[in-house]
Amino acid sequence: MKLCRYGNAGSEKAGLVDHAGRLRDLSGIVPDIGPNTLAPETLAKLAATQPESLLLVEGNPRIGVPVNGISKYIAIGLNYSDHAREANMRVPPEPIIFMKAISCLCGPNDDTLQPRNSSQLDWEVELAVVIGRKGLYVSEDEALDYVAGYCLANDVSERAFQLQSSQWDKGKGCDTFGPLGPWLVTTDEITNPQNLDMWLDVNGERMQSGNTSTMIFGVKHLVSYCSRYMTLSPGDVIATGTPPGVGLHKKPHPVYLKPGDIVTLGIAGLGQQRQKIIAPAA
Amino acid sequence: MKLCRYGPGGHEKPGIIDSNGKLRDLSLIIDEIGPGRLEPRKLRALAAAVKVEALPLVEGHPRFGVPFTGTGSYIGIGLNYSDHAKEADLPIPDEPIIFNKATTSICGPYDDIVQPKNSKMLDWECELAVVIGARAQYVSEDDALKYVAGYCIANDVSERGFQFQSTQWKKGKSHDSFGPLGPWLVTTDEIPDPQALEMWLDVNGERMQKGTTRTMIFPVKKLVSYVSEYLTLLPGDVIATGTPPGVGMGIKPAPVYLKPGDVVTLSISGLGEQRQKVVPFPGP
Repeated sequence: MKLCRYGNAGSEKAGLVDHAGRLRDLSGIVPDIGPNTLAPETLAKLAATQPESLLLVEGNPRIGVPVNGISKYIAIGLNYSDHAREANMRVPPEPIIFMKAISCLCGPNDDTLQPRNSSQLDWEVELAVVIGRKGLYVSEDEALDYVAGYCLANDVSERAFQLQSSQWDKGKGCDTFGPLGPWLVTTDEITNPQNLDMWLDVNGERMQSGNTSTMIFGVKHLVSYCSRYMTLSPGDVIATGTPPGVGLHKKPHPVYLKPGDIVTLGIAGLGQQRQKIIAPAA
Repeated sequence: MKLCRYGPGGHEKPGIIDSNGKLRDLSLIIDEIGPGRLEPRKLRALAAAVKVEALPLVEGHPRFGVPFTGTGSYIGIGLNYSDHAKEADLPIPDEPIIFNKATTSICGPYDDIVQPKNSKMLDWECELAVVIGARAQYVSEDDALKYVAGYCIANDVSERGFQFQSTQWKKGKSHDSFGPLGPWLVTTDEIPDPQALEMWLDVNGERMQKGTTRTMIFPVKKLVSYVSEYLTLLPGDVIATGTPPGVGMGIKPAPVYLKPGDVVTLSISGLGEQRQKVVPFPGP
């Protein structure tokens, strides 16, 4: 099942994407897709809905964040072995956890607003895990039972802000640094999250190309690990790290985003995103 | 005004503290103290409208909850007291160090601190917390305090083993019960100068931390302005502004950490007191 939210920011409605890829209005069944929608029982009820019984949505509405009311946006640093090699960094012995401000969340095709004083705006295509039920000290074996589904994330980063101090959060939480979606794809469609191809282009040029099979710590491990350090709540998001090809590590010198650039990205089964970079307001 | 929320976890009601320090029921006037209520203009209107001494007294000794709801970002500031930096033998940072605490760590001011599994280095940090009242992005230092709803005490409970396992501190800052806030949200009219507040923290009655917000490296208005450059602050967001000297990790000759049964009490002038008992994680 591919769930989404469509409409203007702040007044999105629940939607469902049918087998033919058409957007249908789910708001007669659930008013919104929020933390309470993600419980396995509720998702099972939605899965029983015949998509053809839902009205088709006309036109091309904006797509919003696929889940409303996200309370934590956790992210994992340096989680692809090929990315670690490219960055010439040691493979970390344990996952590195940081957090993105929830105010950074935005729709998958919303513009990326370059912050003031930003000179090193960068991209990171990532598989995002969306939590479906409360989890604390979850075992690896049970971890996927706590997952409602997956979506595509661009972990937009400002490297100068990120690396100015020891703590990365400052370069990760600016408004529009958290495009999520277009869809929340439930786990029945993604039976193996460790074999998904992913890519990211800037202005049509392939920058990142990878597969979730080279994750150092797989989804199961990450959900279990994070739940040892904080309680996971329904709707929480874990972005699981990025494969090689970020702008910071381009040779012979880094490449960063500038106003007018177009970023497109995709993960197999999870759809695509497209963002245009907008100059900071004076 | 001293606003609070009282009652069992998840069922708190809004309350207000009168001039004698007594708790009164505010639920007839407002149904919740949440982001929609924190705008300074609305708080002033509430202060003008409410006759505190006319509200019903609350009987008994209810639990105090977090004094407001709807925190989206809980930001901590690292190493923000010059005397603490000296004690820790660390250079004074050029710019504020920002990190996030998970909002699921937030709890009432007297709730137990639950020691996580595998925790051996559980520590305390008495801090002045700033509560945001209005959406703030790129606000100047001069304007910054206009975006503040009020202040409260925070204990930025930290697990040093987890905090320093990787470069990123969040992992040691975010467990359930690591974010006691309150007992009150004290509105800015009562705290005209947030840089002149005395603060202390005791463990089992022994004074561990003692300081004043005067020795902050970056004062409240700088912090609000600075953080608003990097993320949009929303009503209900919290900035914990760093801790003065005397954390367990820095005690000589050997660090001292919390263990089950310990009692932590802490206070900041004008903001009341907190008290937490440390308990082991229940269950296997």
